[in-house]
Amino acid sequence: MRRPALLLASAILLAGCDVPSLGMPDPVSKEGQHVDSLWRLFVVAGAIVFALVVGLILYAGIRFRRRNDDVPNQNAYNIPVEVIYTVTPILVVALLFGLTVAAQRKLTSTNAADPLVVEVTGFQWGWRFDFPAQHVTVQGAGEVSPPSIDLPVDRTVRFVLRTDDVIHSFWVPTFLEKRDLIQGIDNQVEITPTQLGVYRGRCAEFCGLDHWRMPFDLHVVTQGEFDAWVRGHPGATP
Amino acid sequence: MGPRAPGGDAVTTLDERPPLVDEPEEPEPPELRGLLAFLTSTDHKRIGVAYMVTAFAFFLVGGALAELIRVQLYSPNNSVVSENTYNQLFTMHGSIMLFLFLGPFAFGLANYFVPIQIGARDMAFPRLNAMSYWFFLFGGITMVGSFFTSEGAANFGWTGYAPLSEVTRSPTLGGDLWIIALVLTGLSGVLTAVNIVATVLTMRAPGMTMFRMPVFTWNMLVVSVLVLVAFPVLTAAGAMLFADRHLGGHIFDPGGGGSPILWQHLFWFFGHPEVYILVLPYFGVVTEVIPVFSWRPVFGYAGIVFATISIGALSVGVWGHHMFVTGAAQLSYFAGLSMLIAVPTGVKFFNWIGTMWGGRIVYRVAMLFAVAFMLTFLIGGITGVMLASAPIDFQAHDTYFVVAHMHYVLFGGSVFALFAGIYYWFPKVTGRRLSERLGMLHLAMTFVGFHLTFLVQFWLGLQGMPRRVASYLPSDGFTTLNRVSSIGAFLLGASVLPFLYNAWRSWRRGEPAGNDPWEAGQTLEWATSSPPPPHNFDGPLPPIRSNRPVWDLRHAGQRGAAVESGG
Repeated sequence: MRRPALLLASAILLAGCDVPSLGMPDPVSKEGQHVDSLWRLFVVAGAIVFALVVGLILYAGIRFRRRNDDVPNQNAYNIPVEVIYTVTPILVVALLFGLTVAAQRKLTSTNAADPLVVEVTGFQWGWRFDFPAQHVTVQGAGEVSPPSIDLPVDRTVRFVLRTDDVIHSFWVPTFLEKRDLIQGIDNQVEITPTQLGVYRGRCAEFCGLDHWRMPFDLHVVTQGEFDAWVRGHPGATP
Repeated sequence: MGPRAPGGDAVTTLDERPPLVDEPEEPEPPELRGLLAFLTSTDHKRIGVAYMVTAFAFFLVGGALAELIRVQLYSPNNSVVSENTYNQLFTMHGSIMLFLFLGPFAFGLANYFVPIQIGARDMAFPRLNAMSYWFFLFGGITMVGSFFTSEGAANFGWTGYAPLSEVTRSPTLGGDLWIIALVLTGLSGVLTAVNIVATVLTMRAPGMTMFRMPVFTWNMLVVSVLVLVAFPVLTAAGAMLFADRHLGGHIFDPGGGGSPILWQHLFWFFGHPEVYILVLPYFGVVTEVIPVFSWRPVFGYAGIVFATISIGALSVGVWGHHMFVTGAAQLSYFAGLSMLIAVPTGVKFFNWIGTMWGGRIVYRVAMLFAVAFMLTFLIGGITGVMLASAPIDFQAHDTYFVVAHMHYVLFGGSVFALFAGIYYWFPKVTGRRLSERLGMLHLAMTFVGFHLTFLVQFWLGLQGMPRRVASYLPSDGFTTLNRVSSIGAFLLGASVLPFLYNAWRSWRRGEPAGNDPWEAGQTLEWATSSPPPPHNFDGPLPPIRSNRPVWDLRHAGQRGAAVESGG
């Protein structure tokens, strides 16, 4: 009973290195790497389970199709087989659960030293980004010219998530991270961008009429470019 | 009790006593026919059919809304419908499919078949049963009718998240009608659940022990218990929201010190058991279909019953996995418990495969729908384990990945199995078979259309398309996959046409079914005529010595037939 589970576990761990991401974007943040590797392990595990079960269904479905009118065997129980197909899923699930807990500990910690704090406020239907230390505020709405902020590469950013009205959700798909903005709940996420570029974010929680018109852009730039961007705002202190 | 009454001659019966006074003979009420007979009946079979026909009509309405959604999403920046209309469309699509179609259709099947499968003459409370149907019908009319109010139907999503659903953000009458419809259909569900529990526990025929009950009946018992746990919470939450909207309550309103997250806890404490309320009946249907067409007993009967009970028990403790990204749910607890549900669900898969194993599988449309169900629902199950992992959910939550997953569960799972059930039981209900050729066409269109529509949505979601968006931008790169999805949806929508024609034609002049059209029936509904007489069984019931008395009777003395108790 333990051997198939061990085999499965090692197969998952071995194959986890180089499997297709099946649509998951390549992460551009340090934290996103944890999600990406966990996702690939789940893809491998899912593919093995899918192949096994579909194989069994198709084999049984074809092999045991009607060929004559004999009454087939009527065995309704096989205790060892039933024990195996109950215990094996428990082991697989326990493995996936362990991997999940390990990854989520890394993701949900918000204790980086000296993070860049950005207060994100969602409203119907746009965003306000406050940089309290730099005294910079960016606010905007609409899908034609969405609000846009700069972030320095390789520095941990702590997003403090707030809302003025209904629930919104802060989501940057290439960071593989999302968290809701809810009155009464103090949500924070820490993200360390690792690649220069422009990344589109969206509101993920349905928030009323113009929910779909709430994109925003994050420009991940060098520290120097970020300082210049900050200086470009009146009253800012980089 | 009639044919099953024990004793007989030795017992003095009341009929032999002369009447004390001459009572004027009450004239027999004239036998009602047609629609009026249906409207006034307390016969569980007529109520069951009424449930199923009504629910299927709501399925067509909900499906039409889905087609409009897919038309709108066919192109970026589309304006076939306005944002407000679009928001009403997806709100009502979800609400209709979940509250007015999948659940009530399952109750229709249960109404019709649970009493027959346990050898009873009717449900325990026939009048309550009729009342449940009327609550459902008028609840459904209330919900759909809200489209005809001046500002249209509810537009805050089928999950009704506060504070968006509060009166300041959603002041329309449609929101109130939505709440009232939830309460009415919820009450209908609770009353039906009480009825099913009472029927199963008290009305089983002699010999029909709990562990000889058909698996469909077992599943409906567990579903009914889940309804009794979950629906009152939804009703209470609806009443609280209504109080917020109209009585100056501030329960979910942060402006008045209320807690928006409380709505989510209450809603999902209902909402997750609800998923199993919508899926377990159809697991039961598949577990009836596969043994009959495989000419085998269900493999691991006790295991499948305990798997159903485990799923039911676990399902009330996993609501937080809908709330991972709110930051208000304990991640590990809900992740672990949610993943654990994969175990009993996996067990069911192996039970179904074990039933086919070594059998003599006859591929009729019902069986093909059951196989299509297994292949499709498997993807729903695997992606469900992925979503139960909080880090993956941080990316996939509230995106088209979730939309795809839940359709793989509720359409790929429930609806495929529902059609398997229709092809399997239609001859029993109408006395005539459905056409197999039209059925094959229906199956092929449904299978291809479904996967075209929903498989690509997994990619759309991971790449950044949120759910419930009225449109998207050309620069988003979602256009091609959305087109594939829409084309699939048009095919899927068209697939009901051959089915409707088939049902209409076969009902009028299909091939007569006989008692047991599959020639391998196992459970008691195949022991009576098609359709069954008013009190279900005219002759004596076959002796019930296992979970498949009809098979035992047919194969008496042969290998595999039950001789003593058990099987």
